[in-house]
Amino acid sequence: MGEVIVITSGKGGVGKTTTTANIGTALAALGYKVVLVDTDIGLRNLDVVLGLENRIVYDIVDVTHGHCRMKQALIKDKRFEGLHLLPAAQTKDKTAVTPDQMKELCRDLKKEFDYVIIDCPAGIEQGFKNAIAGAEKAVVVTTPEVSAVRDADRIIGLLEAAELHDPKLIVNRIRPLMVKKGDMMSIEDIIDILAIDLLGVVPEDEMIVVTTNKGEPAVLDNNSRAGQAYRNMARRITGEDVPLMDLQDDTGFINRLKKLIGFK
Amino acid sequence: MLKKAKGSKSKKLLVKKETEVLIPDEMGEKVTDPDSVEIESRIEFVEEAAPMPVEKAAASLARNRDPWQQNFADENTILIKRTVRSGQCIQFDGSVVVLGDVNPGSEIIASGNIVVMGALRGVVHAGATGNEEATVAAFKLQPTQLRIANHITRAPDGEYLAPDYPEIARIKDGVVVIEVYQLGQDRQTKIC
Repeated sequence: MGEVIVITSGKGGVGKTTTTANIGTALAALGYKVVLVDTDIGLRNLDVVLGLENRIVYDIVDVTHGHCRMKQALIKDKRFEGLHLLPAAQTKDKTAVTPDQMKELCRDLKKEFDYVIIDCPAGIEQGFKNAIAGAEKAVVVTTPEVSAVRDADRIIGLLEAAELHDPKLIVNRIRPLMVKKGDMMSIEDIIDILAIDLLGVVPEDEMIVVTTNKGEPAVLDNNSRAGQAYRNMARRITGEDVPLMDLQDDTGFINRLKKLIGFK
Repeated sequence: MLKKAKGSKSKKLLVKKETEVLIPDEMGEKVTDPDSVEIESRIEFVEEAAPMPVEKAAASLARNRDPWQQNFADENTILIKRTVRSGQCIQFDGSVVVLGDVNPGSEIIASGNIVVMGALRGVVHAGATGNEEATVAAFKLQPTQLRIANHITRAPDGEYLAPDYPEIARIKDGVVVIEVYQLGQDRQTKIC
């Protein structure tokens, strides 16, 4: 029996889809059977981030309505044998699926996969309710901004109301230099407000834009610091004890020079 | 036959046949050599003695019993005069012509042909009810996924050069092929 994990945030644009794609790919790279479920019906992106957009024939709405079998809708990743995607529909809306249908879907999926990772849409309406319906664990993504942390707090409250206890936190797009100067909220500040366990911290990385546009997750790039952070998170999800990576080592002049001339 | 009539007030746009071309000079002389005429002169405003109102034209269309034309009477076609955007889905029993682009994330499903007078970047399904004669033509044919009848195709992974000329996709010998769209290549074949 697998584990169903929902990745959510409340606020849009904080990196739910990027996080889903990268953690999923990292877990598959570790040899697990993983399925990524996109529940953002009408605004699907996960397929684009994974570079699998042109393979979609059936989607989650077709599966829940019985238009096709589960096997027909699952898209196998082009890089990893164990990675699969269940895409969202683009021409329907969030009401096309009900929480009960999602529960059944997750029950079916976790029989076959080690990890079922659900990409939640932004907001707290129907799409969010669908996404968390079948989940057993939750991961909340936030960025070091007051608005994102406020929304994350609201989401944690809603998750607890839905019996999803002890969600884990991912702080995305942190800039150690700005934190040092006091211009950005630090991880301690965020944990102080949200009071949940930290799963990982992702430093701001320009490479994410490049890899996302190319449809290749950042975890495949060994030079990407964000990719390293996601690989560590995947290992933490499997139960391994991995220390937080040192975010500061990128800030020294010598290190930046090294990076500039390609030694890192 | 076209000629300049005087005294009428209504104006009508007429396109002349290529064999006989008028030069719109002051004398109204008729010249039969098309080479000596500039392209612009082929279309001109001519005042006609008996104007043809819209109602009369409609009545004449309704009366048309030309058997050759009747053959095509059941071929529905819709014209979409806008860009088809992500999330929009056009399903039609017949052919679809788009005057605009078809963006990624959108879907066009037609039982007949699909023609895009612009860039085709979304998902298209021509001949959706099983018509293997259906074609997909576009000024820029770069679909996310292209389906004809029960064939499903997609672009190869990785970078590839997107050509900058109109192309047409059709089924030939059981596989979907994409060719340069040549003017008039379908004139003699059966229009499907």
